[in-house]
Amino acid sequence: MAFIRFVGFAVVRAWQGFWRNAMMSLAATATVILMLVLLSGLFIVISGLNSGLDFIASKVAVTARLIDGVSDDQRLALIDYVDGLEGVKQVTYVSPDMAMQRLEEAYHERGAELDLGGANIKLYASLEIALDDPNFSGSVASALEDRHEVERITTKEADYEVLNNIIGTIRMVGVVAMILVGAVVLFMIVNTIRIAVYSRANEIEIMRLVGASDSFIRWPFILEGILCGLIGAVVTIVLVAVVWDPIKPVMVSVFQMPTAVSTQFLATLSAVLLGVGLGVGAIGSWISVRSNLSTAT
Amino acid sequence: MIGTLERPAVGALADAQPVINMVDVGMTYPNGKVALADVNVNIPAGDFVFLVGPSGAGKSTFIRLLIREQLATSGRVTVAGRDLARMRRGQVPKLRRRIGIVFQDFRLLPAKTVYENVAFALEVTGASRAQIRQRVPQLLNLVGLHEHDDHLPTQLSGGEQQRVAIARALVHDPAMLIADEPTGNLDPVTSWEIIQLLIQINELGTTVLMATHNQEIVNAMRRRVLALEHGTLVRDESGAAYEREY
Repeated sequence: MAFIRFVGFAVVRAWQGFWRNAMMSLAATATVILMLVLLSGLFIVISGLNSGLDFIASKVAVTARLIDGVSDDQRLALIDYVDGLEGVKQVTYVSPDMAMQRLEEAYHERGAELDLGGANIKLYASLEIALDDPNFSGSVASALEDRHEVERITTKEADYEVLNNIIGTIRMVGVVAMILVGAVVLFMIVNTIRIAVYSRANEIEIMRLVGASDSFIRWPFILEGILCGLIGAVVTIVLVAVVWDPIKPVMVSVFQMPTAVSTQFLATLSAVLLGVGLGVGAIGSWISVRSNLSTAT
Repeated sequence: MIGTLERPAVGALADAQPVINMVDVGMTYPNGKVALADVNVNIPAGDFVFLVGPSGAGKSTFIRLLIREQLATSGRVTVAGRDLARMRRGQVPKLRRRIGIVFQDFRLLPAKTVYENVAFALEVTGASRAQIRQRVPQLLNLVGLHEHDDHLPTQLSGGEQQRVAIARALVHDPAMLIADEPTGNLDPVTSWEIIQLLIQINELGTTVLMATHNQEIVNAMRRRVLALEHGTLVRDESGAAYEREY
């Protein structure tokens, strides 16, 4: 019961303190929103690119185009050979007819029809080789170079590396930006709480003299900082929820994010925003209270 | 009009155990200034003591040591049986609930009513609403302000504000009340009303230590006087008058 009274006291005082010092509190909250919006953007972009990366990695990593006239025996022997290579997950034979069918389907998906103008065009047969890890594409490609049945080898290694480098750069820039903005947010919260402590110096003095414990004196200020983080997080979550509807189809179609992941994404991001908002508010106010509020001697 | 307050713990407080005991107490600040030197004082429960001395004599330091805002650099200070130097940080709030303190400038919260100012002292120490509802009217009745409970401090006279401060100082039923120049901002008539209130509180069993420059009050009361000069206790006399401590 005493603990509930304490919590009630601290929450009410934090709420009163937030609005008593409204200009500074709202400014600190605005910086929290700025940081969390930046974090959301970073989270969305990196998650999208990671999905794209996973998609590429899961798809055919090496394609071996076969020469014309490869017999069934030669083809089966080649498939057995490829299957035995290290890092190969699956080998799929794509016949010329299947290749043509895929081409037609691709046209159809774009709302067009494949028009060959009556020409008898035959596509190449190929082996599509899925890998356990895209890093095996180099060794698999080398192993196929000497096979006479293979005319040309293409890999997705270059695409994978480009995307991986982009993600690495964005991640690094994002982390540096987050650290800088995070420092500004902490600075704002520390100063907001410092001003709150100074503006309530008389109350604090009276609390000390009448025997209020350190918890009663400190926690309302800490909760006030947490309140800045909480309000900032809730506002950002609402903002992200509003823009997520138009972003979601892009994530699914452009970045190949699985639909199940995209449905869960908002909940995951909200939890991250709430955690970061509350955390930065708590850390900022804790630093401020420790350095600006002396309680019992 | 000043009311009354029933206090069942009077007998327990008025026993022979000293509320304040100082043995060879010295206080030297980091800049080398000696605020107190070799002070030996024993104040039994129920006593009414004046602390006098010119500005800079060490009265404020004396009080700060008692409420453990500062620690003595030498000697031993005991309050209500507790050695303050050995007291853990977490126990200090409990000590301060055993000591009520009022100041010359009242230190009331201007945005809170009379009732809220007194209730605040209970609220911040975790008292329940029922306890607050029971205790605050009792104290406002004691100091004669029960009809002004919804007034803001700015709507009160200086004397009334000091009474609110005294009511607040008594919320935890302290063993001792420290009054630091409580009449310093008041006219002579109001000052006497405050002194009458302090006497009444003392008669209910609370030890009263009053730091003052008011010669007239000290001379008229003829109580125990502790006189400080340059940090040294130069006089500890019962039934005494004000002498040259200006």
